[in-house]
Amino acid sequence: MQNNAIQVKGLQKSYKKLQVLKGVDFEVEKGSIFALLGSNGLNQMLERLKKKNGVLTMFLSVSNLTKSYNTGIISHVLKGVDLEMERGQIGVILGPSGSGKSTLMNIIGGVDRADGGTVEVDDERITDLDDKQLVEYRRESVGFVFQYYNLVPNLTVAENIEVVSNISKRPLNTDEVLAAVGLSDKKNRFPRELSGGEQQRVSIARAIVKNPKLLLCDEPTGALDLEASQDVLALLEKVNAQFGTTILMITHNSAIAGMAHAVFRLRSGEVAEVAHNSELIAAERIEW
Amino acid sequence: MVMALLNRIWRMIKENKGRYIGIVILILLGSFYFIAATGVANNLEKMVVGFAEEYSQEDLTFSTDRPIENIAALESESGAVIEAYRQYDVKLPNGELRLLGLPSKINLPAVLSGRGLENPGEILLDPNFCMLHGLKIGDQIELNGKPFHIVGTMAVPNYVYIIKNLYDVLPTNGFGIGIVSATDIEAFPEAVTVYAAIFEDRENLNAQIAKLHELLSEKGYSLSEWIDAKSNKRISLPWGNITSMKSMSFPVSMVFFLLSCLIVGVMITRMVKSDSVVIGTLYAQGYRRRELTWHYMAIPVLLSAGGGLAGILLALPCVKPVVDSMLVFYILPAKGITFSPLNLSLAVLMPVAFIGLSSFLVVRKVLKKTAGELMKGDEQKAKVNSLERALRLDRFKFNTKFQIREQIRSIPRLLFLVLGVSAASMILLYGFTFNYSMDVVMDKGALARYRYPLEYNFKEVRNIQDGGIPEGAEPYNAFRGYPEGRQVVEFYLVGMEPDSIGFNINDMQGNPLSRDQVNITSPLASRLKLKEGDTIRFVNKLDGKSYSLTIDGIVQAYGEQVVYMPLDEFNRMTGQPLGSYRTVLSSHEIDFDPSLLAGVMDARHPEAYEDLNRPTTLIVTSVTTLAVLIAVIIIFLVTSLMIDESRNTISLLKVLGYRGKELAKLILNSSTPAVFIGFWLGLPFMLAFGNILYGIVAEMMNMVIPMIVNPLYVLISFVLIFAVYEITQWLCGRKLAKISMSEALKAGTE
Repeated sequence: MQNNAIQVKGLQKSYKKLQVLKGVDFEVEKGSIFALLGSNGLNQMLERLKKKNGVLTMFLSVSNLTKSYNTGIISHVLKGVDLEMERGQIGVILGPSGSGKSTLMNIIGGVDRADGGTVEVDDERITDLDDKQLVEYRRESVGFVFQYYNLVPNLTVAENIEVVSNISKRPLNTDEVLAAVGLSDKKNRFPRELSGGEQQRVSIARAIVKNPKLLLCDEPTGALDLEASQDVLALLEKVNAQFGTTILMITHNSAIAGMAHAVFRLRSGEVAEVAHNSELIAAERIEW
Repeated sequence: MVMALLNRIWRMIKENKGRYIGIVILILLGSFYFIAATGVANNLEKMVVGFAEEYSQEDLTFSTDRPIENIAALESESGAVIEAYRQYDVKLPNGELRLLGLPSKINLPAVLSGRGLENPGEILLDPNFCMLHGLKIGDQIELNGKPFHIVGTMAVPNYVYIIKNLYDVLPTNGFGIGIVSATDIEAFPEAVTVYAAIFEDRENLNAQIAKLHELLSEKGYSLSEWIDAKSNKRISLPWGNITSMKSMSFPVSMVFFLLSCLIVGVMITRMVKSDSVVIGTLYAQGYRRRELTWHYMAIPVLLSAGGGLAGILLALPCVKPVVDSMLVFYILPAKGITFSPLNLSLAVLMPVAFIGLSSFLVVRKVLKKTAGELMKGDEQKAKVNSLERALRLDRFKFNTKFQIREQIRSIPRLLFLVLGVSAASMILLYGFTFNYSMDVVMDKGALARYRYPLEYNFKEVRNIQDGGIPEGAEPYNAFRGYPEGRQVVEFYLVGMEPDSIGFNINDMQGNPLSRDQVNITSPLASRLKLKEGDTIRFVNKLDGKSYSLTIDGIVQAYGEQVVYMPLDEFNRMTGQPLGSYRTVLSSHEIDFDPSLLAGVMDARHPEAYEDLNRPTTLIVTSVTTLAVLIAVIIIFLVTSLMIDESRNTISLLKVLGYRGKELAKLILNSSTPAVFIGFWLGLPFMLAFGNILYGIVAEMMNMVIPMIVNPLYVLISFVLIFAVYEITQWLCGRKLAKISMSEALKAGTE
């Protein structure tokens, strides 16, 4: 300590809920010249933060979101949800059945409307969009992966992917996407002829062919066994790394949370807990 | 069957009301048409045949140059009942009335209103004449200065269709008939004697008629206006309507019932397959296969019985107005409208049997599986058929690929659409073609053949050597004959002078044919399968003598059945003196003594004959409406099924960002090729069906109607069918818009 002019230990700093410093440790000896060099990660992180009116903003920002359903009895499904994600992150929403996970994801995806609060995706306030604008939002910006794949049964694998590339402004090449998900040899098969894991990979290929800003996955491994689930999660990891796609996943399986940058625990319509993982677990090492 | 399952049936019907209503309407149309067509035909036939039998309709009418001396002897020689009656045409200020002496054996009058003749000075009139001249029962009418008291209206069996002359086509304006007592008609000294004959042996009428002709000729009587009932338009005209209605009733209804079978089969298959897990569960709970079969059969049986009954109930009140509208042309005693119990039963039992059986087979196929197999839910999974698997669509754009796959996903549904549109197109094209064919027959048929538009027919044979044929007129001789062995195919054999121009006689290329040879009209040649160089063997209907001629030329014609030959050869062949003729064709009016004439045909104003076409216009209008209705129902049913079957896909596409118009294009427009193919299939179907129908009419009525397709009407039909398609798609688009995204979000496997 006597020789150290500067000693920094476990320094943390958050700025508008953005954790800028996550536990910095370093020492500088007396009389030494030191330079603070920006790391790739730091630069990327800064790049992900956009400036809006001189203020740094998140890629996905959900603020005080409420939603109720009236099925004879009024159910308050979301009671003021707050949630933020940086661009390029993987986020996981955990929660028991009935906690409002799907409702939250549907509103973020522009499939459903909130009763109150706001959702902003890439500086676009989704909650202010009309029906036609929501169609365009889903068309351009969002990819969906469903628990039960939702493939069109009478279209081939390649054609199922074309369903989305057909309406995209700048779609990726179908064959390249098929190669990325490891299904080039099955492009002319029908969904019924594939395993669950393979069908889910087709579903992921369909979602990413438009190169969406945001990929929403509703229980992507819910219908799969462990091995298939690991393959699918690894694929999602790859998509995130290769394309920089922001991924938000719903799952009731807390083991999957280990691969996410941000974990949101939903309970009774509210975010009960937010956690950020400094170190991510690789998908193939996730087990349950 | 527990109440819960019964409730389910009503809920299932309510959930798909529109679709089930469409199917009921299809079945209803089939039953309606069957009952209406058979009802009209049977009732008309009952009236016509009943009238003929009850009131002793003649088999033959003729006139002689002098009264027959011993009618009783002639009757026993010929096996006929022969009656003479007096006839006189009275000219009136605005018309003409044919007086007939009251007969006692043949052609007895049926009193339609008022009462029969009881006293001298009384008269019965035909109802149309009364209406036209503003006369009613109780009025007086003065005929040649003699007053007659109108006591009633009547119909006579030898004037069902009231035309003045035997060769007339249309009723003469202001002409009618009246019956007075035999005593009263003697007050008209110019009255002529006409004979009517009925043969006791109802077989071989032609031979008996020929024999009577021979007997009278042998006795030295000169005969004129010799015409049998079948050739007599006054008697035979209603049979055209009866025959065509009867022949169409069964096939048309069958088309509707079969189409309904197809679509109900598709729907029941879907229903049972989607319920397979439920069925398996019920099996596991102890339900018997029979009980479940009846549960799923309930809807098709209810639909078909309901549709059948509704069709009958709608058809019953329609028959009388249609029959009455036909009775405007035909004077017949109206009997009450009756319906055959057999036909009424068939109208319900046929759809129930067809649809019930097809549904039964579908349901049994699924129910053959075990409870365990059904509960696995494999039946619910969308299967890919072999056609889908075999198709390689890589080179097509995505939209095209999607639309093709959407169509071939369900082959029965696709078949229903194609065949249904074919049926609608066929009916539409048939109506237009029939109307156009009749127009062509009017324009280019018999009337158009007359270059010399006035045809004077004499009661007796005349000779050129006796003079009397002015410039611009030509003599013709003719008789009615039939090919050996085919009595139903009657035609005229016409003798004409080699330099005659009164008739247009051109070959199939439009070049004039020589009159100095034997020429046959193309409809007759086609019917008898004759060509140039062939020999036609035929019988003279009048005297039963046989002849044969070699065909030299085929005349381009539309409907007429005539053989033309040189006049001299005609007269030689028939044993008549050279120069004999019975008809004069003239370019101008000739002042012949009316008492010599059997009739005059005036082809100068063919538009006057358009009235004859009025029934066909009615047919075309009703057929067009029917076709449009069928097209709407079929396209609506198929589109509705398609949207239902693709609900999850549609919902998914909405989630993925497809816009409304893009979805409509993908889903709804996928049927366009099938509709296109269906329409063009309708054309050959119509030609085949039309040929069969026209062939039946030709055989039964000896009336050849050519089938002439006008490209303009084909285009109009095409536009109509596609207009219906577009409108129905627009209506179904609203159903598409109602599908919510939540269906995809909640869906498991499809």
